[in-house]
Amino acid sequence: MAERSFDAEVQKLKVGAGETFHGEGILAVTKALLQAGVSYVGGYQGAPISHLMDVLSDAEPILNDLGVHFETSANEAAAAAMLAASVNYPLRGAVTWKSTVGTNVASDALASVASSGVMGGALIIVGEDYGEGSSIMQERSHPFAMKSQIWLLDPRPNLTSITQAVENGFALSEASHTPVMLELRIRACHVSGSFVAKDNVRPVFTLADAMENPVRDYGRVVLPPSNFVHEVEKIENRWPAAVSFIKKHKLNEFLGGHGGDVGIIVQGGLYNTLMRAMELAGLADVFGRTEIPIYCLNVTYPMIPDEVRGFCADKRAVLMVEEGQPEYIEQALNTILCQADLATKVVGKEVLPRAGEYTGQVLLDGLRQFFTAHAPGQVTTNTNAALSSKDQKKLAKTVPLRPVGFCTGCPERPVFTAMKLVQKELGDFHVSCDIGCHLFSILPPFNIGNTTMGYGLGWSGASAFNTKATKRTISIMGDGGFWHNGLTSGVGNAVFNKNDNILVIIDNGYSAATGGQDLLSSRANNETRVTGQPIERAVRGLGVSWVRPVNTYDLGKMKATLKEALSTDEKGPKIIIAQSECMLNRQRREKPLQNAAIKNGERIVRTRFGVDPDTCTGDHACIRLSGCPSLTIVDNPDPLREDPITRVNNDCVGCGVCGEIAHAAILCPSFYSAQLIENPSLWDRLRAGIRGAVIGFLQRRADKARAKYSFGGEA
Amino acid sequence: MNPVRPITIAITAMGGQGGGVLAGWIIALAEAEGYIAQSTSVPGVAQRTGATIYYVELFAKVSAQKAGQDPVLTLTPIPGDVDIVIASEMMEAGRALLRGFVTAKTTLIASDHRVFAISEKEPMGDGRQNPEHVRKLARATAGQFISFDMEQTANDAHSIISSVLFGALAGSGKLPFPRKAFENTIKASNKAVEANLRGFGMGFDKAASYDVPSQKPQEVKITPAPLIAPLLQRLHDEFPKAVHDTLVHGLKRCVDFQDVRYGALYLDRMAAIHELDQVNNGKDKKWHLTRDLGRYLALKMSFEDTIRVADLKTRSSRLARLRNDVAAKKDQIVSVTEFMHPRIEELCDVLPAPLGRYLSRHEKLKAGLGQFFKKGRRVETTSLRGFLFLSVLAALKPLRRLSLRYSIETGRIESWLNAITNAAPVNYALACEIAGLQRLIKGYGDTHERGLRNYTTIMAALETFQAKPDAHKYLKKLKDAALLDEDGLALQKAVQHLQKRRTS
Repeated sequence: MAERSFDAEVQKLKVGAGETFHGEGILAVTKALLQAGVSYVGGYQGAPISHLMDVLSDAEPILNDLGVHFETSANEAAAAAMLAASVNYPLRGAVTWKSTVGTNVASDALASVASSGVMGGALIIVGEDYGEGSSIMQERSHPFAMKSQIWLLDPRPNLTSITQAVENGFALSEASHTPVMLELRIRACHVSGSFVAKDNVRPVFTLADAMENPVRDYGRVVLPPSNFVHEVEKIENRWPAAVSFIKKHKLNEFLGGHGGDVGIIVQGGLYNTLMRAMELAGLADVFGRTEIPIYCLNVTYPMIPDEVRGFCADKRAVLMVEEGQPEYIEQALNTILCQADLATKVVGKEVLPRAGEYTGQVLLDGLRQFFTAHAPGQVTTNTNAALSSKDQKKLAKTVPLRPVGFCTGCPERPVFTAMKLVQKELGDFHVSCDIGCHLFSILPPFNIGNTTMGYGLGWSGASAFNTKATKRTISIMGDGGFWHNGLTSGVGNAVFNKNDNILVIIDNGYSAATGGQDLLSSRANNETRVTGQPIERAVRGLGVSWVRPVNTYDLGKMKATLKEALSTDEKGPKIIIAQSECMLNRQRREKPLQNAAIKNGERIVRTRFGVDPDTCTGDHACIRLSGCPSLTIVDNPDPLREDPITRVNNDCVGCGVCGEIAHAAILCPSFYSAQLIENPSLWDRLRAGIRGAVIGFLQRRADKARAKYSFGGEA
Repeated sequence: MNPVRPITIAITAMGGQGGGVLAGWIIALAEAEGYIAQSTSVPGVAQRTGATIYYVELFAKVSAQKAGQDPVLTLTPIPGDVDIVIASEMMEAGRALLRGFVTAKTTLIASDHRVFAISEKEPMGDGRQNPEHVRKLARATAGQFISFDMEQTANDAHSIISSVLFGALAGSGKLPFPRKAFENTIKASNKAVEANLRGFGMGFDKAASYDVPSQKPQEVKITPAPLIAPLLQRLHDEFPKAVHDTLVHGLKRCVDFQDVRYGALYLDRMAAIHELDQVNNGKDKKWHLTRDLGRYLALKMSFEDTIRVADLKTRSSRLARLRNDVAAKKDQIVSVTEFMHPRIEELCDVLPAPLGRYLSRHEKLKAGLGQFFKKGRRVETTSLRGFLFLSVLAALKPLRRLSLRYSIETGRIESWLNAITNAAPVNYALACEIAGLQRLIKGYGDTHERGLRNYTTIMAALETFQAKPDAHKYLKKLKDAALLDEDGLALQKAVQHLQKRRTS
């Protein structure tokens, strides 16, 4: 079960021709796939396209009705390889993942399918995780398209353009026998809006047709001599076919006016931001009406030389708005103009930053510079002033950063608490991290981790450290990364190479960081997938004998197991499987049930934690060992003490880690757990009555004794 | 140019705080009221407690029809072009200011409560940033600034902060939609409608009648018990008025810790210090030394031994406070379990001093008994067994003066007071700084030992530079360094740095 349920939204996928579809960008893409008669869809989740996978997963009944096969691929390479179905058969297929990380993983298969060429339309939908909110290295998907000669679409970020791009993408792919990549930026994936729908189309030629009537063509296999033929085919047939299709169907748009001798060339995905910046600069209105000619590249690869020449011929200078680096489009533009002997000056990274997201402010600044230099007198300034730079500098020191961290009650937290405690005793270790929520361990308050090399690569990231030393290394891997590739690249690799170090596998039952999708080892029942395959069996099957599954909330045992792994004389890989269910998913599942049970009058015991303000001395060691969001600080109620004390707020889910920490780290006696009994039984009431009577009596007596020392007013 | 422009709204929030719910409501509201609405967000890891922005643009359909064209709506807020900023927390309002979203055209709706960042919670002292800085700039910059503790309002309404923010947005009058339309949006969402409408209503009222709240402290009439009255009388007679408040708190704490005699001891010690203060012109310094020591001596004299903890844990006032802290409803039975980890050291502490001292030095015996103190203990205070166990410990209070811990603490207090007494005539500020070193020693077990270790390190270092005229500055530097990291690395460095400077 994923973090967000789209059960209600997927009903919108049934909307028919002429009706208006309202929703999120990613849901619109799903609808467009169905309208295009897609036969199969695969992919691997990850922001910003996680929701696409979740929507498809929740839409399986609808997909089944249309005869569409949907698969949650093991990783992006598996998803890309799925496109092989379109090589020999007229089957339309789409795959999706987070880019550029997913494209990195997929590129082996991508290069192959691009070499073979396709008969049915093959669409690769990449969620470009670039700019604000991104969690990965800042790179572009663009060169992947260039190197394999895959056509790259970058539509304007409105639902009509995006869904049109899906339709165009399939047609372009079929016309040029080339896979097509559709790039969607983070915000475009999550933009809400509407478009006029069409009917869903059931594929005429089905997957079963292909399986029952296989067709083979040696010319499509990437082996000599076909591989050489493919390269020639790409240059001589597929590329020209693509260029003429793009021109004929006007995939790129000439927007704006025809006046003046300057113009703007923009990636489709940046069009809306550009237009708002132009509006603020007095160059356009809110409807995008402007005198300045604009050439909008909804296809950013390949470039269409005719169109470029036509646009630039009567201009002195053009502004190239291209996000990210290297500036491939700007370079191509210069090449085309140079070959055509055109003297139009291309201004791009000269006035726009080389690195970072192109937000409205960035484009506004760039426009000002460009127009001041090449068409002065056109730009007006009428934006409101914000803070002075002095105030801004001062405020920057006040506003704290908010690094991401583990959720309240997260089962991964105690693993790193244990590691921190072990490091306190034995000194620091080299820790190789992976991708997933567990990577938050490198941030405060844990500050544990040296490197992260990629999804599932936690253990291989430490494989060089396989030599005699007095300390062992610790590697981390999540269950997501484990099934993505870590099983072979990490565990298999370690067994084969006689690694003597430690791997901690965080087994929380889901691919948690990408939105809580199910995995092979998920404990939850999933009607459409096979789950319940334990990680322990998998690693034992690979030949690891030192394997210790540990409940993560048992801090003492986790600590002891880590110490054992670090000190045992037994040679060979040592794997600790840290098990406990992701708290987000658990709460989502249990909370409604619990609330219903309470409503029904059932006896329910709820646990939550608290801190006694008069014994807490405000050292915050507990926070440094936990970092739980529900563990916060408040003013010290004691007028004599100055430092704020710890408090557990009402978000506490009662996971028990606070108490475990107080015990394992010998911290302080301020933590208590409170068991709240809802709908107490008769026995509960009776017992509480007796206890209350005795305790109350003793307390009243003590109160009386204390009253002798009253200062009055009890302030 | 066409003057018709979209309404731009930025919601700055922390992941998982309901910014998405609020954005969804605004979209639904606007669409129902004949507007074209677009929202974007950046989910992903930011959702896990990081700061994040939801951005919404609204455009009247009528204007689009008139123009015969749809507007081009954008996906990121542009500094200087945001009409409404909704911040679900004060520092997030600060972040919006920092990013230039708040200008004279902006209505800033911000909840005046704090969710502390890890960098504010983590330090061993007080790492909190001052929100007053944000408030001041917000007032000066925003065209309209609506701010009250919306989290508290949400709690009062048994609702979520999103509903209060939505109410405040309606109350601001900045959106061209009637109150009814806002309420219909909540009703149509079909989720916790009643609670959300309640939160909405309270948010609306507070925003519509927004005024800067004023707080006046209430005077409390004080009638002390007969046993206490003479102590208070003595305090009033012997000490200047400027330090009365602090000393009353200190006295109260010492009496509460032990008994009236202990309170008198506190006053005796304070009297000596006050005399010292007088001799050294403390009056000109507003009795700085007396006031500081009034605070720190009381804290030092009321050390956290097992007896104290057991006493505090079994008080009647505690259970009442605790029920409130865990938000227990009236008919709920609450049972409480303590997490305690007494070590053999804590046992030695409560034993009579000679016996405790013998045991703490007898390694073999200590190791043997240590077996019983290896594991943390859970004590259920609400059970008869647990309560009686703690009560018995608390009942040792009259015998405390015989305990090893008492004898150790008395020694520590006296040598600390000595150091202050010696420093004051030479360097008044240094004496105050030494008094302030008490702040380093807090907590239990390892935490307490770490504090003591730092204190000892600093006092040893002090001997090497106490003759210098600006010794107090050095001491303050060392104290700050001691609060920087748990392992004492910064302190070690600072001490080495001082020694290097002295030798070179």
